[in-house]
Amino acid sequence: LSHVDKVSSIFEDVEFCVLNGLHDHPKAELEMGIAECGGLVVQNPGPDTYCVIVGTINVRVKNLVAANEHDVVKADWLLECLQKKHFIPWQPQYMIHMSPSTEEHFAQEYDCYGDSYYADIDKSHLQEVFKRMSKPEQNLPSKTIADLEQRYSWDISPLSMFRHCIIYIDFYARIGDSSTQIHGTSLDVRILELRFHGAQCVTNLNESVSHVVVGKDLQHVSELKSRRTAFKRKFKIVLESWITDSIKAGSLQDERNYLL
Amino acid sequence: SLPCTKLKRAWEKDQDLGSGFTVTICNGEQAWSGRVSDNQMTMEAKEAEMDREKYVDELRQALTTGEERVKNYSFDFFKDNDEEVFHFSYEKLLQDISFKLGSVELRKVLDSAEVIKELINYVLHCNAELRDKNEHLQQENKRLSCDRNYSLKELEKYIKAKEDLEQDLYSRFILVLNEKKAKIRNLQEKLKCVDEQ
Repeated sequence: LSHVDKVSSIFEDVEFCVLNGLHDHPKAELEMGIAECGGLVVQNPGPDTYCVIVGTINVRVKNLVAANEHDVVKADWLLECLQKKHFIPWQPQYMIHMSPSTEEHFAQEYDCYGDSYYADIDKSHLQEVFKRMSKPEQNLPSKTIADLEQRYSWDISPLSMFRHCIIYIDFYARIGDSSTQIHGTSLDVRILELRFHGAQCVTNLNESVSHVVVGKDLQHVSELKSRRTAFKRKFKIVLESWITDSIKAGSLQDERNYLL
Repeated sequence: SLPCTKLKRAWEKDQDLGSGFTVTICNGEQAWSGRVSDNQMTMEAKEAEMDREKYVDELRQALTTGEERVKNYSFDFFKDNDEEVFHFSYEKLLQDISFKLGSVELRKVLDSAEVIKELINYVLHCNAELRDKNEHLQQENKRLSCDRNYSLKELEKYIKAKEDLEQDLYSRFILVLNEKKAKIRNLQEKLKCVDEQ
């Protein structure tokens, strides 16, 4: 690569090892780019190698990562530099792997998800940060979401108006027996509306329930009331119009007007 | 009086009962027919001391509606002194008393078979029409309930996706947020140390 015409000196005397390229930017092209910018190219990373450039992750890359000696950087970063003729600082989204010293350096600036401690973030960068995070394994309890929304005043959103409600829908022929669900009533839609607006709907009538919603058929009301007498926390029995009216108004309506 | 098994009323299509109507009575063998004119109804309404509109409405109920309503009315059919003329009268029953709504003069129809045929044809036609309508409505019902179920399932999918997305975003948000809070705590500790020194 001694015969290349130098177009820039952003990589003057910096040693790179390109393991593989990208589909539309093969290894040779990347190596040529480095040379044009004054950089050096080696085929195996050594103690003087600045970093390893990687297009696609393969076994060799994984081994390098396991060795934990070199910084492994995405080819995207190199392309950015070549395009802009500028040495762009590493950012979390470019890093496949960081050596311990680089990691320490990054920890000053970024949290473990790659979000800067100091620099403001915008929508697209936050999206990137979220995308890099592994999928959360556990579901957040509804209470946590409700608290979070309250903390940041998002609880006024119509989409979360029923967030604090734990609702039992009275459309089971036998109370609390979900295998006896009666289909084809307007309550089919109500339960979906409730969920869409943040409610937690349960199939079991237990102490946690805050509201019981009844439809046109009121035959369970007396049984519901008698069960309630045994409960410490008393649920409210409301007409389904409480839901439709609240949604229409865009905010929770006073349930006292809908009590049975 | 003669046994009366069938009663047919005809008036001009799309016109109200109030503009006069024809009554045909038939016992399956013979038929008698007569017409109540517009003027006659006005008179009868006056006689009954009723508003004409209310009177026509009363007639409609007495002469044209289903079995249930007929129980509140009484009908009489009898021969006049004149051998050719018959009378058909209708009364409303009110607890103990009944009051006459009106009556109509009938004459024997010469070709009773034709009247009976017409009557049966009419009923058959109505029956076929209702059967068609019923079938159509049942199909429509089936289609609507299919559509409804499909929409419910789709809605359920969308809502599940919304719930999942919300879960996912909030979970990630909390992780990033807590990292920042950890950093703030860390810096606070450092600040405290500096202050203490």
